Amino acid sequence: MKTPYNTQSPKKGGHGTMLSYVVGFILSLIFTANAYYAVVSKSITGQALLVAILGFALLQMAVQIFFFLHLGRGPKPLYNVVFFVGTVGIILVVVLGSMFIMDNLHYNMTPAGVTKKLAQEESISQVGGEKTGACKTVGINYKVTINNGVIIPNSIKARLCDTLTFISEDEGIHEIAFGPLPQNKDYAGQEVTARKGRSKTITLNQSGSFSFYDQLDPGITGQFIVNP
Amino acid sequence: MVGTHKTSHEEAANDRVMFGFWVYLMTDLLMFAVLFAVYAVLHSNTLDGPTGRDIFSLPLVLAETLILLTSSFTCGIGMIAARAGSKKQVLSWFGITFLLGLSFLGLELHEFSELIHEGHTISTNAFFSSFFTLVGTHGLHIFSGLLWMAIILIYVSKRGLTSHMVRKLNLLSLFWHFLDIVWIFIFTVVYLRAFV
Repeated sequence: MKTPYNTQSPKKGGHGTMLSYVVGFILSLIFTANAYYAVVSKSITGQALLVAILGFALLQMAVQIFFFLHLGRGPKPLYNVVFFVGTVGIILVVVLGSMFIMDNLHYNMTPAGVTKKLAQEESISQVGGEKTGACKTVGINYKVTINNGVIIPNSIKARLCDTLTFISEDEGIHEIAFGPLPQNKDYAGQEVTARKGRSKTITLNQSGSFSFYDQLDPGITGQFIVNP
Repeated sequence: MVGTHKTSHEEAANDRVMFGFWVYLMTDLLMFAVLFAVYAVLHSNTLDGPTGRDIFSLPLVLAETLILLTSSFTCGIGMIAARAGSKKQVLSWFGITFLLGLSFLGLELHEFSELIHEGHTISTNAFFSSFFTLVGTHGLHIFSGLLWMAIILIYVSKRGLTSHMVRKLNLLSLFWHFLDIVWIFIFTVVYLRAFV
């Protein structure tokens, strides 16, 4: 049979007293209530509020480590404290480092336009918390046929996220450019080269009124309107 | 003389076990830190879906926080009773701790099931992936803590409050306080911060 626990030696082991638990509990309640009230009351906002609630969390952590975990009141040498400080150091490096690196990466990454174009092609509607304008689902499909240098129909009214297919019945290539004549623009990052027997479909993910023409034969023109 | 020798020997063993468990807690803390970092990086990637502000219920989370905080306190009082050698008090204080822990877990599962019911699962977007992983890992720790507590309490009630059992209760209380501290940061960084 094991002996009952020796009650003569609790002083040395860094154990808590009733008082330390009560004090720790009350302080913790105060910090929790303060942080909660600061958020709910909206008396301060933004960065100041963030700093305030993180401050209350750190204070509460310190209180609980001291009054509940009794760190630093154990036997000497204080291996536990040393290990704790080392862990906190690693945590600071990992957490703050990750946040700094990812923020910096996001800032310096591929130019926003390229990211947006790639995202639209992949139908990714959001990158890094920002909308790209890509469509999650597509609507009606409209067809434009180029026959003997004439575009039929000449004008199309569509809604956002519909699709537009270019079909060519002619020999040779039609390089479709968007925008009024001298401008040689793509449509929301999408380029169209129409050849016989090979259609090209674009997603109408940018609202507005657009005209387009054949770069190789500027007489061939048409337009489409995308309503939101 | 023999008695004192045995006690100091036992104490040294106790200190070793405590340090070993402390090392475990610190590595566990590192794991939580990584999950916190992941959440901090990914929490705004919601794919047009709702953000934390739209779906979290602060009163529910405050209730969870107060329950866990109180359970940490009752656990500490239970430890005082354990060192005083009062089996009856140990059973009742840790019994209260167990029930509080269980109700915390119940509230958390209720929150999770509501979210999943509304179509917000771990695979919905990066925000929910990091949210469920971080909060779920903490919940899993609470669950294993409750299991551990139940086993120790059954042992104590059947075999009495031996020094061996007091040592186990001590480790368990460390674990429980540790989970409370991790929860404070979940409460602050995940829930309160969503409303900043």
